[in-house]
Amino acid sequence: MNIFFRELKGNFKSLLIWCLAQFFIIYAGMLKYQGFSSSGVDINKLLEGFPKGLMAVFGVGSVDVSKVAGFYSVFFLYFMLLAGVHAIMFGAVVVSKEERDHSADFLFSKPVKRYQVITPKLLVGVVNILIFNLVTFAASVFFIALYNNGDGLVDKVALTMVALFVLQLFFLALGAMLGAVLKTTKLATSVSAFFVLGAFFLSVTVDLYNNLEFLKYLTPFKYFEGKVLMLDGTISLSSVGILLVLTFILTSLSYIVFNQRDLTT
Amino acid sequence: MNVIEINQLTKYYGKHRGIENVSFCVEEGEIFGFIGPNGAGKSTTIRTLLSLIYPTSGTATIFGKDCIKFGREIRKDIGYLPSEVFYYEHMKVIDVLKYSASFYDHVDMTRIDTLAETLDLDLHKRIDDLSSGNKKKVGIIQGLLHEPKLIILDEPTSGLDPLMQQKFFELIKDENKKGATVLFSSHILTEVQNLCTRVAIIKDGSIIKVENIHDLRENNYKKFTIEFQGAFDMSRFKFAGITNLTQEETTVHFLFRGNINKVINSLQGQVLHNLLVEEPSLEEIFMHYYQKED
Repeated sequence: MNIFFRELKGNFKSLLIWCLAQFFIIYAGMLKYQGFSSSGVDINKLLEGFPKGLMAVFGVGSVDVSKVAGFYSVFFLYFMLLAGVHAIMFGAVVVSKEERDHSADFLFSKPVKRYQVITPKLLVGVVNILIFNLVTFAASVFFIALYNNGDGLVDKVALTMVALFVLQLFFLALGAMLGAVLKTTKLATSVSAFFVLGAFFLSVTVDLYNNLEFLKYLTPFKYFEGKVLMLDGTISLSSVGILLVLTFILTSLSYIVFNQRDLTT
Repeated sequence: MNVIEINQLTKYYGKHRGIENVSFCVEEGEIFGFIGPNGAGKSTTIRTLLSLIYPTSGTATIFGKDCIKFGREIRKDIGYLPSEVFYYEHMKVIDVLKYSASFYDHVDMTRIDTLAETLDLDLHKRIDDLSSGNKKKVGIIQGLLHEPKLIILDEPTSGLDPLMQQKFFELIKDENKKGATVLFSSHILTEVQNLCTRVAIIKDGSIIKVENIHDLRENNYKKFTIEFQGAFDMSRFKFAGITNLTQEETTVHFLFRGNINKVINSLQGQVLHNLLVEEPSLEEIFMHYYQKED
């Protein structure tokens, strides 16, 4: 428990900043919706004029962005990106930072087994991503309601958040695995950033080129679609299943590798 | 009874040598010195004992239990001072110590205050505001706080001023009197001289010698300093038993082991200005060991 609370306290500030940033992004994003809807311009027509590549990067595919649910569904890509970066970095750092901070000799010479250090740290990770998720949920419902006659679309946003949480878990586990395998925190965070951005651009590429459709299985950003979640109100259970299995495998790997790791001073 | 038994312990970092076939024992209740230059493998040996790193081959037991298999159990009774102490920079000293204590059962928390008072440490400063000597003190306190049966100190005195070193040695002696066994690693030999009962000397990853400190000094080595009046013949000193022979102008220094009359005879007919026969310091004895190995 001591490690859990120590870690929780140590991460509080960074979590606060992430949550505030997320809150502001949702606020600013929905403010734009207000801009569109009150100006009377047919936003769909306007967007048709833009090149397809640009639209794919911004996540504006084939949805009706003049409706609040459609507009909001575009956010999902950014949520995934942001939450992904947050979760993978958390995992990579939390596992390796004792060595980075030269406190590994202190901590691991205490009567604790390696897993007894990793478990509370990862649990703090789960708490952190859950809070980030709940803040996203609350802010989303609040701002959607503001522009949708008081209807926050709670059901659909909640479903979207479930999908987001599964992705967060996956990225946390991936980060933890990288933190356990790679020699330094710096290397682990660099590779993590590469993974998230790589996955993001892969998902954009898949959007751009129909003949590369099969690549969608390689990027977690393609496992859930904002428009399916927000408009149809359905979630791909096979995606949830695959991601959870991967999360389990990656977490187990983290434990196994970290248990055999030679700690550096 | 042996508190630590190290048996043919070898550690390679990839192809890079850490230690090779290190074996020695530390008996219950003794203060054991672990001496060698930087990079010789002292920290590698100690960190293997604590299963912070895993050996390539060989085994080690502490309190008669395998140090990897029973690592957690063993570490309940170990206090360890790492050679490099940084800890959690944003925490206050008192919080680090409380955090440290939280890993052990039945810690007498009043010891924080008494130890801090002895070492003259401000408990309410943040770690990153401390000098390296004061950080070392935090390390010492967290190592001794839970009254461990085995105290492992890796280069404990670096950064401490002489007065503080003295207090620290007193502290270690007190813990030892109360029954704690101490493994004390250092590259400063004089500090071991007054504290330890036995020493292991490590060089380039291998143990050169394990010896009783008393024997080491009483090994009949005498340190000679002879100052001649005017010219003299250096070749007089070319006989068995003389080592570390050096000459500066009219003065000759050497270590001698054997029948002292040989030296006296060699001085027959010489006019001396001064003659000193002393116990060599450990430093000089060790230099002698190291040179012999080269």
